[in-house]
Formats: sequence, structure tokens, C-alpha cells
Amino acid sequence: MDIFIQTLVTGLLIGGLYVAISMGFALSFGVLDVVDLAIGMWVVLGAYAAVVGQQAFGIEPLLMLPVVFVFFGFVGWLIGPFIYRVRTSNYALPALMALAFTFGIETAIRGGLLATFGYTPKSVQADLLQGVWHVMGISIPIVRVAGFVFALVLAAALLIFLYFTRLGLAIRAMAQNKDSAGLMGVNVKRMSTLVYALYVGVTSMAGVLVGAVYSTTPQVGLRYTLFAFFVVVLAGMGSVMGVLVSGLILGILQAFVTVYVGANYTLMTVFLVLFLILLLLPNGLARRTA
Amino acid sequence: MTLNQSAGWRGLGVVSKVAVIILAVICVSLPFWAGPYWIRIGTGIIMWAGLALSWNVICGYAGYISFGHVAFFGIGAYSTAILMQPEYNWNFFATLPVGAVIAGGLAAIVGWPVLKLRGAYFAIGTWALGEAIREFATVVPFTGGSYGLSLPPNTSSAFFYFTMLAATALAYLICYVLLERSRFGYRVKAVRDSEIAARMQGINADRVKIQAFVLSAIIPAVLGGINAYWITFINPDSVLNTIFTDQMVVMVLLGGLGTLWGPALGAAVLYFLSQQFSALFGSSTWYLVFIGILVMAVVLVLPNGLVSLLPGARKRGVLNQVIGGVVGGIHQTKPSAGAATPKEARHDSP
Repeated sequence: MDIFIQTLVTGLLIGGLYVAISMGFALSFGVLDVVDLAIGMWVVLGAYAAVVGQQAFGIEPLLMLPVVFVFFGFVGWLIGPFIYRVRTSNYALPALMALAFTFGIETAIRGGLLATFGYTPKSVQADLLQGVWHVMGISIPIVRVAGFVFALVLAAALLIFLYFTRLGLAIRAMAQNKDSAGLMGVNVKRMSTLVYALYVGVTSMAGVLVGAVYSTTPQVGLRYTLFAFFVVVLAGMGSVMGVLVSGLILGILQAFVTVYVGANYTLMTVFLVLFLILLLLPNGLARRTA
Repeated sequence: MTLNQSAGWRGLGVVSKVAVIILAVICVSLPFWAGPYWIRIGTGIIMWAGLALSWNVICGYAGYISFGHVAFFGIGAYSTAILMQPEYNWNFFATLPVGAVIAGGLAAIVGWPVLKLRGAYFAIGTWALGEAIREFATVVPFTGGSYGLSLPPNTSSAFFYFTMLAATALAYLICYVLLERSRFGYRVKAVRDSEIAARMQGINADRVKIQAFVLSAIIPAVLGGINAYWITFINPDSVLNTIFTDQMVVMVLLGGLGTLWGPALGAAVLYFLSQQFSALFGSSTWYLVFIGILVMAVVLVLPNGLVSLLPGARKRGVLNQVIGGVVGGIHQTKPSAGAATPKEARHDSP
């Protein structure tokens, strides 16, 4: 029974990380309607930025969070217009070409990281978050709690931003109908760029925490991309609350598969569940009303 | 708004006909006059042309991006490798259909739910499938895990050249007949261009899409089997590596999405470039950066691929008219050089 509860808690805490990774993508997908294959690479980039900041300049990883957000937000702000251009182009299959474009981003980043840092796993040593809490026979690493709290804060901030600011209103309008939003005076191109920048910044920030919990190589980026897809598909594309729930579900699923079946089977199980969800609930948990 | 630019043999200009004949003669006679290095390069280009073609079937013709195509390649490779182990000792050619059937069956099972949904889900699902198959091959006992399997060696490079050539040529023939010269091809393209309109015409869109996916899964399985025998040693890293899918995507985009000859052109150019790249810089991970930037550049500036630069493509009507005027003198009378046959022209008109 102890193992069961321990697994559940571990799963919930990991799930928080998955929520943090997927939140930005859910937003960007809802607004830009582009499936980004580079999600995992932004996560890995965030983790590597923290590692570099720590090893080269001795900066505490937690203090790197805003730096990472601003820096990668800027990178996203530079890339955003290209994605917007491809997505709204008059190519035969614009959605597909946009997907291929992000695939190019992913491959280029993965290659660049592999060429620079090699295949050796790196991990972020967060000194402030060392240690383990013991509560009633269950051990809880503080760093995972931090990831979980970060996810909750992120979700809250995102909800406040979307529902209580004028920018958020514009973004929600765009998610519903770009043309109408444009007619109402929303600068669709600028807002799309902003959303992409926000997504890249947030995801890289989540990457810092992922790097503190797990060791990271450029090769694992793919894994996080798949997990983010899983979460967003399960949530129903474009739903923030759905992301919260399904991220936690994924974490718990992974924890139980790891403990009771074996860590080698995680991806296979995730794929199988994803497959079943697509079969049974093609619209995800939360039906999007638009 | 259609991607199709392929016309039939009769629709080709004189220059193109001569070029095609010269190319065919070079392809068939290469092992008799070229050195081992060039036979190797040739075998590689032919294999990649076939792989890119298979990816183009599901993406360019059916409009679904598959990011797990390496799974079918790996299934073919492992089927051949396992059945050629001493305890089974099958004939090499008998193993190829087995891989094709397994890959086709898997494509049908996976495609059935996923192809009903939007393209993005399909991309995700196939990507996960590729990873899952790789994990599967690493975990189960009969694949040799991450150590892999050895096959009985065959040192005749001409044998592999001709086997690969035969398989790819057959694949091209089948795809040409099915996609450019049959009702099936029109159905696939109709579903791609507008699924609702296609359904209105009484096309069973779900079935057409699954058929296209199965077709595009069988080709890499056969090529994967030949490749396994060619390289005589396989493991998950060598035949289930995502770089295979990466390269298929790049080759098709580079050559021209949804065209019959684009993949072959893209495969030849990129394979040659990659060989030059590794000769210049060694086998380095910078190659991934190069590929990634190439994809982005092609999407941004050359969305119709290299094919659109060739004479005969509609994009370069002026260039084509100059060449046609010099050679044939009657090209200007044709309304559009790319859509030469009446059937195609009717299909292309909005």
C-alpha cells in the first residue's frame, strides 16, 4: 500500500512538470493552429541554458528562470513571424508545411546541441531545492515539489492573463476566429508572434525544472514533445483546464507503468493509451466550444 | 490548388524524353562500368528514392504527414534478418513479402482510427509509433535487443544494386499506375484536396486513406529488407533511427511534394550532398543542423521543391517555352506545360 501511495504522489508531482511543458504549447496550438514538433527541444534548451549558466557563471538555476524566459521568449519572437507566414501562406497544404517547418527547427536545434555538448547527459544542480521530505513513510524530493508548484503558478498566471487582460481577450478572440478578431482591430500577426514567444519562453522555463529533476540529453527532447502532444490531445486541443488534468493523468500513468511494469515500457504504454484515446475520445476530455 | 505536376510519357517534351532514356540507361548499366564506390552511392540513391517515394504517397498524395515511417523500414529489416537466421534459414527473396505484409497490416491497424482525425493527430500518432517500435525492438528477445542481428554476408555489390533497382522501379511503376493512371489516384487526391467534397462524390474517404497508407508502408518494408541484407548487420540504431524519417521528409520537400519524380530528384541530390558532407566534415552531428536548416529554407523559399525549377514544370512557364520553342517549336500552343494531358488539365482546373 505504501508503494501505491508513493507511486501516486510521485506521479502527481511528475505530472506537474508535464503540465508546465504542455501549457505553452496548448496556448500556441489554440491560437496559431500549428503543431510544433520542437516543444521538446525548447525544454532541452532551457535545461542546457541553466546548466551553462551554472557551470560557466555560477548562477543559481532558480535565478536563471526569468533570464531563460526572456532570452528564449526573444528567440521565439524572432521565429514566430516565419511560422505565421508559412501558416497563412497560399501553399497547397499550409498546416503541413508549418509542421515541416517546426520539424526543421527541431532537427537543427537537436543537431546543434549534439554537436556542441555531445551525448553525455547533463543535469541542473539546484542547490536551493536539494533534499527530501519524509511524510508518513513517503519520500518527496523537494525539487519535484518545486516543479509541481511552478506548474500551478504557471497555470494560474496563464488563466489570469487570458481572462483578465485585454491582451488575453485578444488572444482568446483569435483562438475562436482569426478573421473576426482581425476585423475587431486585433493585430493578428503581432499577437501570433507574441503567443509564440510566450510559448517558447514558458516551455524553456519549464525545461530548467525538468533539467533539475531528470538528467537531459538532446535525444530526450522527442520524448517531451510526445508527452506534450499526449497531454494536449487528451485535454482537447486548446483547453487550459484540460491540460492541468491530463498532465497529471500522464504523470500518474507514467509512474505506475515504471513501478509496476518497467521503465522500458513507458513510451509503448503511452502510445497505446494515446491510440485508445484517439479511438474513444477524438475530441479529448474537454470539448472545446468555439 | 493542387500539387500534382506529373504528366504521362506522351506529355513529355523531346528534351525530357531523351533525358529520361539516358537516365534509364545509366541506371541499368551502372554496375558494368562504375567502380565499387559509385555502385554503393547508386544503391543508396535508389534506396532513398524508393523511401522518399513511399513517404510522398502518404504525404504528398494523401495529405497526411507520417513521422514514423522508419517503423516500416525497420519492420522490413527485422523480418528479413530474423527469418534469415540459421534456425529459420529462409531464402532472402521469400522474406521480403513477410515484412511487407506485417508492415501493411500494422499500417491498416494504426491508420484505421488515426486517419479519421485531423492531420496533426496522425503526425503525432505515427511519430509515437516509430518510437514505440524502436523500444519494442530493443526490449523483446527475438530481435537481439540493442546488440542487433547479423545476417549471412553477400559480397556482390551488383546483386544489391539490381535488387534495390528492381524494388524501387517496381514501386515507382505501381505508384505511377495507381496514383497517376487510375481512379484510385483521383480518389486519393480528391480526398486530400477536400475530404468533404470527395465524400459528396461518393468516395469512401476512410478506405481510400487507409489504402494509401498501406501502400506507403509496404514500400519501405521491402526496401528495409534489402537494406538489412546489404549492410549485413542491423540494430535499432541502424534501421529504426529517426534520422531515416528525417531524411525522407527532407528529400520529398526538397524534390517536390506530391510529384512522382520529386522524391527521386530530392533523394539523389540530398544523398549525394550528405556523402559530400561526411567526406568533408566527417560523420558529424552538424549534419542534422544542415538538414534542419535545409527544411526551413525549402519551406520558406521553394515550397514546390526542385521539381518546380525543371523545364516542364508549370511554375517556370517562361523557361519551358524558351526550351520548347528551340527544340520543338510548337510548345507555345499548349495551354500549360505541366498539365499536358486533357485528363490532368481537367483535374487541375478549379
